[in-house]
Amino acid sequence: MLQTEAYVMLSMVLFVLGAMGVMLRRNAILVFMSVELMLNAANLALVAFARQWGNTDGHLFVFFVITVAAAEVAVGLALIVAIFRTRHNINIDELNQLQG
Amino acid sequence: MSTEVWLFILVGAIAVVAAVMLLLSQNAVHAALFLIVNMGCIAFLFLLLNAPFLAMVQIAVYAGAIMVLFLFVIMLLGAERPGGRSPFGWLAPGAVVLALIFLVTVGVALSQGGISDLQAPPAHPQLRVAHYAADAGPLDVRLNGAGIAGGLTHGAVHEYETLPPGEYLLELVTADGSVLLAETLSLEPGQRSTALIQGTGTPTLNLVSDEAGAGGLRIFNAWSDPVSLVDFASELSDEDTIVLAGDVARGALTEPVAVADDADFSTWAIIDAASTDVLVRMTSGLPFDAAGGDSATLVVAPLRRFEGTLEATVGLLLTPTEAGFGSPADIGLKLFNQYMLPMQIVAVLLLVAMVGAIVLTHRPKVAPELERARLGRRRVSRPLTSVIASQLATDGDADDVDPAALPPAGAQER
Repeated sequence: MLQTEAYVMLSMVLFVLGAMGVMLRRNAILVFMSVELMLNAANLALVAFARQWGNTDGHLFVFFVITVAAAEVAVGLALIVAIFRTRHNINIDELNQLQG
Repeated sequence: MSTEVWLFILVGAIAVVAAVMLLLSQNAVHAALFLIVNMGCIAFLFLLLNAPFLAMVQIAVYAGAIMVLFLFVIMLLGAERPGGRSPFGWLAPGAVVLALIFLVTVGVALSQGGISDLQAPPAHPQLRVAHYAADAGPLDVRLNGAGIAGGLTHGAVHEYETLPPGEYLLELVTADGSVLLAETLSLEPGQRSTALIQGTGTPTLNLVSDEAGAGGLRIFNAWSDPVSLVDFASELSDEDTIVLAGDVARGALTEPVAVADDADFSTWAIIDAASTDVLVRMTSGLPFDAAGGDSATLVVAPLRRFEGTLEATVGLLLTPTEAGFGSPADIGLKLFNQYMLPMQIVAVLLLVAMVGAIVLTHRPKVAPELERARLGRRRVSRPLTSVIASQLATDGDADDVDPAALPPAGAQER
């Protein structure tokens, strides 16, 4: 059986790549996709630890994370569509109306 | 290296490469496709981690539903065109430095943490009580003074109780409140056992351990004489009789007897080992599914008839098979037993998200009558003066008109 560390290490690398996507990209949809990548990486760590402990509670948490991610994507994409309709732009560097 | 390691390295490398390409790709559609590849790889890793249910959910929900939603929105907004400028924000150098610091920190924590040495504590022991005593009436069962089963009659098997490991005083209390039997049991972690109340007169108690997954049928003899389990393959001649478990002494538990998948129990019987008299005949309706991997203990026990004679009966103590780790049955059991409230909350959250998405993307329309009034006023307002003026000027009664009130000649052209 492969050690849990290997899975957690891979999960961490994917998480960092997702976090870099959130920080670096200008396109709001790509930022959003990077958030999904981070959620996936966290799920992978949860499932790896669930196997380590021989306890399926981790699987249940992953199930809930996937469900909440589906809800989040629905609302987030609706927001992006609404913003695009008014601004004709989804570059997050230019969405600064809330700036004081 | 084993196949698992090779698969992990291969699939993990594909996942990382897909994530890097997602980070670097100019075209949003390409990025979405790379994310789908990444999610497929993670579903594969779920399979390696004994989570087949989650692997299927990952593919159906993430790679299926969510990514299709993403692709739809990208196409709808026309956001797939790469912009003229660099796709990266001003934050780039800081983000890279932060990411490297994070990687190093967590890497050190992982290598020093000794995650693989962590072991879950063994599961709590489980105990159930089965009543096969001939002369005891309905019994209440108390464990350390707390009642766990009440009014247990002959042949009844109570549900498993999950208890912390340790010493327990098990008391059998008759209907009139007197303690019939008190015995101390020692329950070890991870053990699963049946407390079997049996015998004539004052009952005795045997602790039978139930091993799930062993398969087959074990025989426990609570009858007064040694018995055998036989299969009369043919009713006509005694030569065809197959002895499945021979000469089981009183109070003894046999090793599991393998049962063929298509076994017909109607030719099976419990016989007296010495006299070969048939004590009990089995029926074909024995609730034992050999093909399904059941394991069970067959108890041969005496039953006091109404007229006072003893008669042998059999009882089947099925050991429930546990659902495989991470299988849909396993997840479903846990979801509906322990996580009912979170599931309801998440369901409400999904509904709210659906309504929210509709509200956010809904384009409000102006009421039709307001719209018509607005359009009508705009169309009429300017021409109206000129129409009146021109009528007054041309075919109106000239005496009634003050020439000064009229617009000067040529106003219409201006």
